[in-house]
Amino acid sequence: MIQTGLIQSAHDDLVTDISYDFYGLRLATCSLDQRIKVWQLDESNGTWSVEDEWKAHDAAVSRLSWAHPEFGTILASASFDRTVKIWEQTSFVSAGDVQLNGSTPVQQVSGSGSSSRWAERAVLVDARGTVRAVEFAPHHFGLKLATISSDNQLRIYECLEQSSLATWQLSEEVDVTTLPSMSSPSSHSVAFATPTQTSATLDGASASLVAQALQQSQVPFQPRPGMGNREADGGWCISWCKERYWGEVVAAGCGISGTIKVIQVSPSRRPTTLLTLDPTPTGALRLTEGSVGAAPSSENEAPTPYAITSVAWAPSCGRSYHLIATGGRDGHVRIWRVKPAEDTDDTEGEGEPKWTGTIVADFDHHKSAVGRVEWNITGTVLSSAGNDGRVRLWKATIGNVWRPAGSIGVEQSEDSPDADATMEDNTGAD
Amino acid sequence: MHASDHLSVAPPLVELGGLSDLSKSGRTIHATASPLNETYAVFAASLLDNLPGKQRHASPDDQPIYFVSSEALPLSERRLFIGDTSIIFAALQNLVKTAKDNGLDLLQDEGSQRVIRKLALDYVNFSKECWIHITQTDLKPRQVPGDHYRILYTCLSLFAILYVPEYGLENAPVGDDLVEWLNVHFIEPSTEEGDHLSSLERPWEDETFWPYLTRATLRGLSKAVTFFLGTLSVHPSENLPRLSQSIIPLLNSQPKLQAYETEREFAYASHRWKEKVKALRIELDDVPVSDRHDDFEDWWDRFSDIVGILEGRGEVVQKACEELGADWKEVCVAWAVFVDTRLRRQDLPDIVAQVLEDMPPDPTNLEDMVHAALFTGDPLKALDHAAKLDPWLGAHLADIMEPLALVERDANEESGLTIRDFYVLSYAQYLHADPALWRITVAYMFSCGKIGARTADEVLLHVPLRLYSSGSSITSESNTDGVPEKGDLAGIVKDVNATCHEYQREGIRRTVCRIAAQTFVQKKEFGLALSYCSSAEDWAGLGRVVDRILQEYIHAAGPEQYTRYVFGIAPSLQAFRTNPGAQGVFIHRLMFAVRYAEFHQRLANGDFQDAAWDLVTMFQDDIAPKSWWGVLLCDAVQLLQYEPTPLFSYVSACVLLHRLDEVCTRTMQGSGEDYLRILEMKLQAGGRHDTQQQLQLARLALAKYFARCTMVGTGGTLINRRVGSAV
Repeated sequence: MIQTGLIQSAHDDLVTDISYDFYGLRLATCSLDQRIKVWQLDESNGTWSVEDEWKAHDAAVSRLSWAHPEFGTILASASFDRTVKIWEQTSFVSAGDVQLNGSTPVQQVSGSGSSSRWAERAVLVDARGTVRAVEFAPHHFGLKLATISSDNQLRIYECLEQSSLATWQLSEEVDVTTLPSMSSPSSHSVAFATPTQTSATLDGASASLVAQALQQSQVPFQPRPGMGNREADGGWCISWCKERYWGEVVAAGCGISGTIKVIQVSPSRRPTTLLTLDPTPTGALRLTEGSVGAAPSSENEAPTPYAITSVAWAPSCGRSYHLIATGGRDGHVRIWRVKPAEDTDDTEGEGEPKWTGTIVADFDHHKSAVGRVEWNITGTVLSSAGNDGRVRLWKATIGNVWRPAGSIGVEQSEDSPDADATMEDNTGAD
Repeated sequence: MHASDHLSVAPPLVELGGLSDLSKSGRTIHATASPLNETYAVFAASLLDNLPGKQRHASPDDQPIYFVSSEALPLSERRLFIGDTSIIFAALQNLVKTAKDNGLDLLQDEGSQRVIRKLALDYVNFSKECWIHITQTDLKPRQVPGDHYRILYTCLSLFAILYVPEYGLENAPVGDDLVEWLNVHFIEPSTEEGDHLSSLERPWEDETFWPYLTRATLRGLSKAVTFFLGTLSVHPSENLPRLSQSIIPLLNSQPKLQAYETEREFAYASHRWKEKVKALRIELDDVPVSDRHDDFEDWWDRFSDIVGILEGRGEVVQKACEELGADWKEVCVAWAVFVDTRLRRQDLPDIVAQVLEDMPPDPTNLEDMVHAALFTGDPLKALDHAAKLDPWLGAHLADIMEPLALVERDANEESGLTIRDFYVLSYAQYLHADPALWRITVAYMFSCGKIGARTADEVLLHVPLRLYSSGSSITSESNTDGVPEKGDLAGIVKDVNATCHEYQREGIRRTVCRIAAQTFVQKKEFGLALSYCSSAEDWAGLGRVVDRILQEYIHAAGPEQYTRYVFGIAPSLQAFRTNPGAQGVFIHRLMFAVRYAEFHQRLANGDFQDAAWDLVTMFQDDIAPKSWWGVLLCDAVQLLQYEPTPLFSYVSACVLLHRLDEVCTRTMQGSGEDYLRILEMKLQAGGRHDTQQQLQLARLALAKYFARCTMVGTGGTLINRRVGSAV
């Protein structure tokens, strides 16, 4: 571990999220100060400098996501103001050229004093609560993004016009807590499935409620919290399956059930839960049986409800299984090994093949809530960050056992001169 | 390498013991991983639980972001080392691949075995040269201590001796090789001691005299031993001078395996030699007890130890080593030289295991642990320690071990990785810490089966293409690799393309080309963008590029810029027409863009007749997309109003009228958007809004034109002919 750089003060208020672009040469940061900053790395000396900054939302910005560069330089921001905004860096410099497309008036955002080359392209206003997470889909599915908000809704948007980025269709809107599992008969779902319907925002939720009633099988794991409580739980986190082969699949965490749902959102069918990652023993039993929607018995309820606030789907990199990491308020970092349904030739009629998940690592080193888990680009190192002020890295051994692989702390070390020395060594190396 | 397990960032965010302040101030820690290298951005994040609007403690002024690399970046000589050894690695890969292609069993093939040995020795020699180079050029603080390469050198050369012997000599006694290894790497007794002793008149009076002799004997340094034994000729004892004269020829004549044609001859010679040693022992035992010591030492005991070593008494060897403070290595090596002169490689682990029971290796010394594991014939353990010592060592040892069948070749069921692949990928990940080493990184990854290839894909995809030249210079001393000169726009993208070709990663190549195309669009390098689209066979993307060019027309003040852009891409149209893979619809759009630019070119040149003809044929040949009809109809107005001569035939004017009617009808039916969208944008860009008004102007112009035609009567003949000839 070597410290290689420092941004002394990134924002005027607490930072809420930072996100590297595709190449790691730029960094987008957002903050409670409602602003977004884009930083550029000077590779010759490892320093970062602000390239653009602007006021992005009317409330704190919660999360950022960069689109794949084949779509351009595009950033999505989620906010407590219940919106998601799509930003594009324009290559137009002169004022006359600002407007790139006609259908939506383009707002040239400008920071205090410094004008930004980032233009607001679209505002997605469907959420009825804080949007807590936003993530662009893997590029092979087109220019799409998923959002999750404190109203429990997972929303999938698709850009209809890539050249202007102005029109985003809400292609899916599902209540994660009540989403039926795939064991429910698919014929039923067709009746309510209007995935492209965007007008009535309540449809998604009510449709699944109807589905639930019809199937008599789906009982929410946790009693559905009242509206007043939603800000405290609701939807927390999402992560796309990076691989194309399995179609569009998102892992989403919602509420205080302590579980993650793996949800298929293929355009051709209505969303279904492929698998619920539930670390409680009975839950694990349920998921191996593949009957996630079965009526929960009393022992299913975890002693203390908690939220899984972070989920990260590892790039699979040729492995025959997926790795999904979770971090939650229970202070645990878990790594799930998820096996997609085996491909059989006659899937039709035989019923749906089932996805299975097993916990391959469960760490409570943080001893406090884990706010963030994230994989490196090859899915070989997991990082987790917790309220203990530590970032911990995890790697698999040759026997495929996950082990701690170092940590980073923000607390003054007992011999702090040492830390200074490390810093000097590094900067003085060239 | 020796990256410590925990790092405290500087400056610290909270004071020692102040972690509780963190959550009190509504903060937590988040980290995000960089795709560029193995760096993590660590920052104090807001606890988002109870926001917004609710009361929050005032946050501190500084909102720092720390950047921490999990690996030490390879710099200067380390880079050189990595680059040069990757060539040896590639050679071995090549060998393994060729053998596989030809169905050769590497283990049985003499030629392959010789090559593997040669490559192993290449690693040995290279690490040696590195070590020497480093110790000689002590200019600035190095990234790894020079000693590091010495350690690699000792480990690699031991590995070569024990596991990659010369072909046909696998079963030969190993003692001589081992003692040579020990003498090269762990020099004892020191030259200084020898110098000191040789400066003395009566060296036996020095306390280091006998230990020196014993050590030198153990190490087979017969010259040094005999020299100092020679000094004993003036020793006051009655017996010692004689005895020392007797032992000197023995030391000088100890049989060495290399001197004999066959091992049998060597064994016979050793046997006869041992007989002579026994005779010396008898002579020694005859020395009266009264003469067994001088004023300084019990010389007899010391002498007896040396004879005991020559006799091959295990307990004497061990005792002597312990007294000298030598470690297990020395005992094992002496064992193979004196106790069991015919000791084979495969028998070594048994001996070593016994020795290690009494003299365990130093667990804090990874070098020692690697040596011990190699000595005990435990390649897996050796790899484990080697990888901790330096991921480079783990990877390259594992890479040679696999073709030699020293480690399992089957993949771990859980991870899907073989032992070799695990270590090679670990090393590749270490390399990924330095983005400039991406070529080497992916080369190692691509040698690791499917998982390796897919991992390499991710790395390749994330190689910064550097198509845009930002203000900041990206050349630096530490980053000399692969940075294109300014103006060499597509330097890295070409490299990545070539690498994709080499490893047959077409999907990745196409994605990279699509990204490059998109970047060029942003830079308005439309010609380059189109060629990358076509290289990626991304026809939809090609369509988007054309859209982008058309947008240039919509948003630019005049058509001049637009025509310039289009003439930049026009040559590629020809290429696409001959490309059978190119899909029609997008090519069609490109054709329109070109034709429309030609139209504006003619307008600009005052070639109105041809411009009018262009306009009509764009309609007639269905080249113009519906969304552009409104624009074209408005473009027609000025031509219709051209005074000197009517530019349209009656038929052509009718074509315009029909299109206008269609637009108007569809607009009334509510789908005017399809036809007027572009016109609307164009008008908005010009600060005007009313598309209907523009269409009415077009209709008026048409009506007037028809009126003119009727009046003139002959207006269309010329044009009719022209249109006819063109059809």
